[in-house]
Amino acid sequence: MTEPARKARRPSPALVAWSSIALFAVLFALLTHQLSASQPPGPRPVLVRKVVKRRVVTTVVPSPGRNTVTSSGASVAEASSAGYAPVTTGAS
Amino acid sequence: MTEHDVTFDAMGSHVRLLIGEPGPGMAPAPEAAEQARAFVAEFDAALSRFKPESELCALNSDERERVPASELLRTAVKAGLSAARLSDGLVDPTLVGEIESAGYVASRAGMQGESLATALEGAPARRPARPGPARNWERFAVDDEVATISRPPGLRFDTGGTGKGLAADLIAERLRGYSRFIVDCGGDIRIGGADALVDPYEVFVEHPLSGERAFVLKLGGGAVATSGLNVRIWRDAEGGFSHHLLDPATGRPAWTGLVGATALGDSAVEAETLAKAALLSGPEGGRRVLAERGGMLVHDNGRVEAVGPLAARPRIRVPDLPGTRR
Repeated sequence: MTEPARKARRPSPALVAWSSIALFAVLFALLTHQLSASQPPGPRPVLVRKVVKRRVVTTVVPSPGRNTVTSSGASVAEASSAGYAPVTTGAS
Repeated sequence: MTEHDVTFDAMGSHVRLLIGEPGPGMAPAPEAAEQARAFVAEFDAALSRFKPESELCALNSDERERVPASELLRTAVKAGLSAARLSDGLVDPTLVGEIESAGYVASRAGMQGESLATALEGAPARRPARPGPARNWERFAVDDEVATISRPPGLRFDTGGTGKGLAADLIAERLRGYSRFIVDCGGDIRIGGADALVDPYEVFVEHPLSGERAFVLKLGGGAVATSGLNVRIWRDAEGGFSHHLLDPATGRPAWTGLVGATALGDSAVEAETLAKAALLSGPEGGRRVLAERGGMLVHDNGRVEAVGPLAARPRIRVPDLPGTRR
């Protein structure tokens, strides 16, 4: 007489779910602890951005025979998008 | 970043310097500008054909065949000869007698010239200029080892054709190492500095007939120069109009169909030479002259024509001018 084959019992779904959650929580806690241990709190790095701004200092040198020289000067015809008075090439 | 901007009168025109930050160990920009100004005064005193006490006038009146010459005069003569070679004799530095015969015997700085538009109405038939058959410029030789210039006595030299360009180049050499700079000697302009490559300068080109901006160039280095008929026009003894750009073949003012030409180059002397050669060559020849380096031609009717690399570059803006057609 042979014994009837034992029927394999499957774990209940609730047990599997709680086991997974517990394992995740343990691993998460472990990783968090390791991260906090390897990076002690300190000053946060600051991104330094250097802003370069062109500033043009204009000097009009008085020439002999010219009576009036102002800071705007004869050569400064009008403002340029480049920030300095226009540079012009022409016959001279 | 600070840029020093200085303008002063010199060489019968204006000189403008824009100088950026100095390199390590270099003088501050205002000091460099003052040194450049002193150099331009020295340059003008030595090389003006309008100053009898200049070294150039001394050379031209010296009866010896071989004449001791300063480094500056030798450099200026070499620049004039290189212009003649580059233009195959079209930009001829030996036309001193011819320009005097045309009426240009003294500086015309500050003088009100005649109207170019009026002069064009009475000008003779247009034709390209040609090199002079004598090619007298080939008879000049510069020997730097013994510091002399030799030529047949009586043959005179005019450094004026390349003078402003050479001054711009020599000042630019002195400004090497500054973050950015622009040297403008009467419209012959040299640009340099590493920062200028990143943030180029805007250079406006003046229209010779309207005086408006014909176009705008953005240049991060090299040189640009303009030659035009609009500045020095006068009435000659016969009542006709004369100007300072001569046809070497005839010794008379050239009327070629162009009133202005702008050229790019590595140096200001090169750009100035190409601009003069283009204007003297007329529309067809001018296109050939400017084809390699690029430039602009302004025709008698005011039309502006981009040539060579400039014609294809999108960075060039060519605004419409009232009264001109393309």
